[in-house]
Amino acid sequence: MKVDEKKPETTTVPSKDSKETKEVKETKDADTLTFDDIKENVKSIEKGIQQKENRFLIRVMRTIFSTRKRLNDQVLKRVLNYYYITQSVQNDKEFLMSFIDVNAPSTQSTVAPMETDDAVPKSEPVTQVATPVQSVTTTTTTATKTKSPAILLPEVDLYIHLLVLIFAIDRQKNKQAIDLAEKMMEKITSQNRRTLDFIAARCYFFYTRIYEIAGKLDQIRYFLHSRLRTAVLRNDYEGTAVLINCLLRSYLEFNLYDQATKLVSKVTFPTQASNNEWARYLFYYGRIKAMQLEYTEAHKHLIQALRKAPQHEAVGFKQIVQKFAIVVELLLGEIPDKAVFRNPQLKKALQPYFQLTQAVRAGNLARFNQVLEKFGEKFMKEDTWTLIIRLRHNVIKTGVKMISLSYSKISLDNIAQKLQLDSAVDAEFIVAKAIRDGVIEAHIDHEGGFVQTKDLTDVYSTLDPMKVFHQRIKFCLELRNQSVKAMRFPPKKYSEELETAEERRAREEEEMEYAKEMADEDDEGFP
Amino acid sequence: MRQEAIDLYTKLTNEWNKKPQNFDKCLEILTQLKIILSETGFIPALGAPIDKKEAHLARDVFEIGAQCSIAVGDIHAFERYFSQLKTFYFDFQNEISESPYKYQLIGLNLLCLLARNRLSEFHTELELLNPHLIQTNIYIRHPVSLEQYLMEGSYNKVFLSKGNVPSPSYNYFMDILIRTIREEIASCMEAAYKKILFSEAGNMLYFKKQEELVEFAKERKWTLASDNYFYFQQKQTDHDNQNIPANDLVMQMIEYARELEIIV
Repeated sequence: MKVDEKKPETTTVPSKDSKETKEVKETKDADTLTFDDIKENVKSIEKGIQQKENRFLIRVMRTIFSTRKRLNDQVLKRVLNYYYITQSVQNDKEFLMSFIDVNAPSTQSTVAPMETDDAVPKSEPVTQVATPVQSVTTTTTTATKTKSPAILLPEVDLYIHLLVLIFAIDRQKNKQAIDLAEKMMEKITSQNRRTLDFIAARCYFFYTRIYEIAGKLDQIRYFLHSRLRTAVLRNDYEGTAVLINCLLRSYLEFNLYDQATKLVSKVTFPTQASNNEWARYLFYYGRIKAMQLEYTEAHKHLIQALRKAPQHEAVGFKQIVQKFAIVVELLLGEIPDKAVFRNPQLKKALQPYFQLTQAVRAGNLARFNQVLEKFGEKFMKEDTWTLIIRLRHNVIKTGVKMISLSYSKISLDNIAQKLQLDSAVDAEFIVAKAIRDGVIEAHIDHEGGFVQTKDLTDVYSTLDPMKVFHQRIKFCLELRNQSVKAMRFPPKKYSEELETAEERRAREEEEMEYAKEMADEDDEGFP
Repeated sequence: MRQEAIDLYTKLTNEWNKKPQNFDKCLEILTQLKIILSETGFIPALGAPIDKKEAHLARDVFEIGAQCSIAVGDIHAFERYFSQLKTFYFDFQNEISESPYKYQLIGLNLLCLLARNRLSEFHTELELLNPHLIQTNIYIRHPVSLEQYLMEGSYNKVFLSKGNVPSPSYNYFMDILIRTIREEIASCMEAAYKKILFSEAGNMLYFKKQEELVEFAKERKWTLASDNYFYFQQKQTDHDNQNIPANDLVMQMIEYARELEIIV
């Protein structure tokens, strides 16, 4: 599943049209497979509703991303024809049909019209690669009557709507997509079914997404808030999580940190929410904290967001989180690990931040300004700019520290020159502040106009090493606790899998025997 | 009702534009106006169309209110006015024309937050503004660069920038700011100098009169030696290394033990 809609900067987008250009047969089969997948998904939705087991629904929602890549006009047309049969849903069908180019360049002209005519779905047993077209149609007609779904469940209805919406977003039919999204929201609001929660949650996400694309994100806040209230009351944790994230996104899009802070302080993010939603939430939270100068807190959350993000997917998300994490780390006065910048997924995107880090590390104000000038526009676009200009005094601090390390006595004029400050008076105040803040150990002689550094105290005679050590231990423990919390088990699995005493005995015996065999084999190794 | 508001508004603007202004009179009219405005629902409800005339009037009233409360030194009133103005500045920026005082008041608010050392709010407010604007608009750039000076420790630049405030209304907060800065500088001096001449200390703290410095020195318990020097005692940082912070250590160890218990 995708974590964020932000497109990664490095990866090349696979050409969407590749499917069309491929051979006739292959296209058909790919479509058929997709169609069958969707049918399969609908089945598990139904199963989930029957058994009241959310797991099946979650699984279906997880496939959306892979399905999304394979959607095309033909597939959707067949899906619509298959499920929207009864008279009562004809309006919906027509509406959804308007999103699809019915006359899309199709290689299946022989099959498609037939299906449309009698609203006959394709048969269950997947037609093999080599099956000639003729036989497909015959199997279709025979196998359908028994399988056509009688009533369209609201969940299924919404699922198909969602697919069409995603399709419309991908085809950039923004105006129409907004209509569709509004219609879906109407449907969701009118229903009160717990089984709908997971599908509804995804719908909220894409609803927000389409408004964001259209640049109208600020208009739906009121609606999202009202849905959030309902979701919290109904204990719909997935919906709550998604809605909180949508709202935060909408606030941060317009830099409304004040409102975002208030929202965060008022809601409790549901612990059962999926990892992806957690990752998003932690990222937004980290950003808010960074803005409020609570860098330690911000850093903690950003790192957690990175950890919760999917390992292989969502490169774009990881890039942007990493960018914030680096800046916050610099603001904390620490230097990020160089390995971060070497990561092939991130390397290119983090290049400006690498240069920034180098400037801060060297305490070189001129270089820092150069980086700012060169990448200023980029930083502004990525919303890190305001954080980065706060780094200026970190650069100066590092500069002062470097000087104090290399000189035991230096005149204020020289300091001003080295740090490129306007005057010696500036330098005097800055050094005084650095002494007060404990950055350097020195004292200033006002009449002489020079700074005299004190002898370095032995760090190991102070409590600092202990403090640092404590910090690291805490970090490790935190990491472990978070990982334990992140483990997930199916809700009822726990009681199910308890083996009986006999079973255990049998298993243990088996294991013993196996161990013995292993031992024997080992022995055989020695003649 | 509407007519009444307009009448009062003209009265207020007349009063405000008079030199010298009679603040008591202004505040009196403002109170009356506020009652009328809240009765008519001056902030348009969700979805309702905005009456541009009304919105303009309300905004102007609040702007005068904000400036007036600064003039009489009522910070809380200023904050209230400004939080109402924010609706007009940001949420309705597409509906109504931009006010000539917009950035001046935003800058004032920033300075106010800075002077009261509410830095996180300062940055929150700053985020609402366009980065280009921050660099170019004189009203905004002033508090922003002040914040930078403060963070760096270039206190002398803060004193210098008192001389070139973009608007006289900034002076009120600048004075507050300078008072806090003096404290900052004094604590820096205590740490950084062994001794300093009386006159030099006065220069550094930007006192114009000697009496002020004497007063200030008394507050900070600085003693003037006979050679006209202030001597600062170097803070003994060593002594806390001598004794082991037993309490903290025990707490840490118990915490580790507990965590390990959980893991095992």
